[in-house]
Amino acid sequence: MPTGKRETLQKAFLLIGRLALAGMFLFAAYAKLKPQAALPWSVASVRTSLSMFAMQVDSYQLLSPQAVSMAAHALPFVELGLGLWLLSGLWLRYSTLATSVMLLGFFALMVRTYSLGLEINCGCFGPGEQLGKKSLLRDGSLLAFSLAIAICAFLSKRNRGESANSLPAAASEPQRVN
Amino acid sequence: MIRRNIHPFSGLSPRRFAILGALALICGAGISAQTPTHARAQTHAIASSDAAAAPVKTLGNRNAPITMEVFSDYQCPSCGNFYVNSLKYMIQDMVASGQVYFIHRDFPLPMHPYSYMAARWANAAAKIGKFELVDAALWDNQQAWSADGNIEKFVAAAVGPADFKRIKKLMEGCEVNPNASAKPAAFKNNGQEDHGCALDTYIEQDKQLAKQIPVTQTPTSVITSKGQRYPAMPGFVTWPILKQFLSSLLSQ
Repeated sequence: MPTGKRETLQKAFLLIGRLALAGMFLFAAYAKLKPQAALPWSVASVRTSLSMFAMQVDSYQLLSPQAVSMAAHALPFVELGLGLWLLSGLWLRYSTLATSVMLLGFFALMVRTYSLGLEINCGCFGPGEQLGKKSLLRDGSLLAFSLAIAICAFLSKRNRGESANSLPAAASEPQRVN
Repeated sequence: MIRRNIHPFSGLSPRRFAILGALALICGAGISAQTPTHARAQTHAIASSDAAAAPVKTLGNRNAPITMEVFSDYQCPSCGNFYVNSLKYMIQDMVASGQVYFIHRDFPLPMHPYSYMAARWANAAAKIGKFELVDAALWDNQQAWSADGNIEKFVAAAVGPADFKRIKKLMEGCEVNPNASAKPAAFKNNGQEDHGCALDTYIEQDKQLAKQIPVTQTPTSVITSKGQRYPAMPGFVTWPILKQFLSSLLSQ
């Protein structure tokens, strides 16, 4: 494949990939923050949603109640921030790397919980979704997708660096005179 | 002056005396025979009213701002953990103070051999208003009775002898364990057929409610506050986190 076409494809994949990941993280944050049971948006209703999310985090039986409360109140905002970062396209290598690390953490936690036989809600996109093979497959695929984008982002940067370095070298090559 | 003999039986001839004596004997026998029959009738009346009564598997004030329904299986370890480490504290704190109305719902899973029997005992106790005691006894001794299925022992210890007798009466016809490995023919259709235990109606009613929500695992908590029902929450939740959620609902 010609280098130019490959670069274009890489760019397109990066753009679509980061937008998809950004959308997913923004939706995940929204699903956790949105008021439950048809309540209107307010500080109190968001607090209730976060408390409900804390119950889902707690059902993983991994953290102390204090840590559960802290994690549940911080995580939706971290997801929101990450979604916006991916959307902006700034420091793409680092944003995709952070996304992959986060998804790897979620996936490991889900695998552990599933192997323990705990029948709980995933809590991935708000309440109501049971942790099972389907959610594991989805999160595993998302992790693989995110890793592919991160690798692509790093390769793209390296290729750009190489081509930037090769330009002056090419320029300094002596011209063949026929 | 002739002094009249005032002895009560002085005017009676021996024949009349014998007749009166015989009558007294017949009456006495009648009365003595009547007393146990009456008592039996009373017991029967109590048993009948027990059988007719709906089991009350709730705790707290019906008008509390929050209603919490918990679908449980008495033999599920996670349910036991949830009761011992969270619900017990909630009952002592927020149910006692009138903030939460607690409803127990039976959802015995087929994988647990004694869970259906335990639910029957709890329902029988609930019919005579002793649900709280038996419910606590079943959870507190879950490991013990799960080993051999001897639930009766813990129910008897939780309630007085008189109440236990009433509960036993209600358990008549409920001797066959539907979750036992060798199921009788009547149970082969997921317990849908009539198999003689009147208490199963209440368990099946709870299971029907669970289907509507839907509940697929235990424990599952369904919380309603100010007319709004929140999504069902499966799994064990620690008391501080549960309290945080319930408090946030109260502050709405």
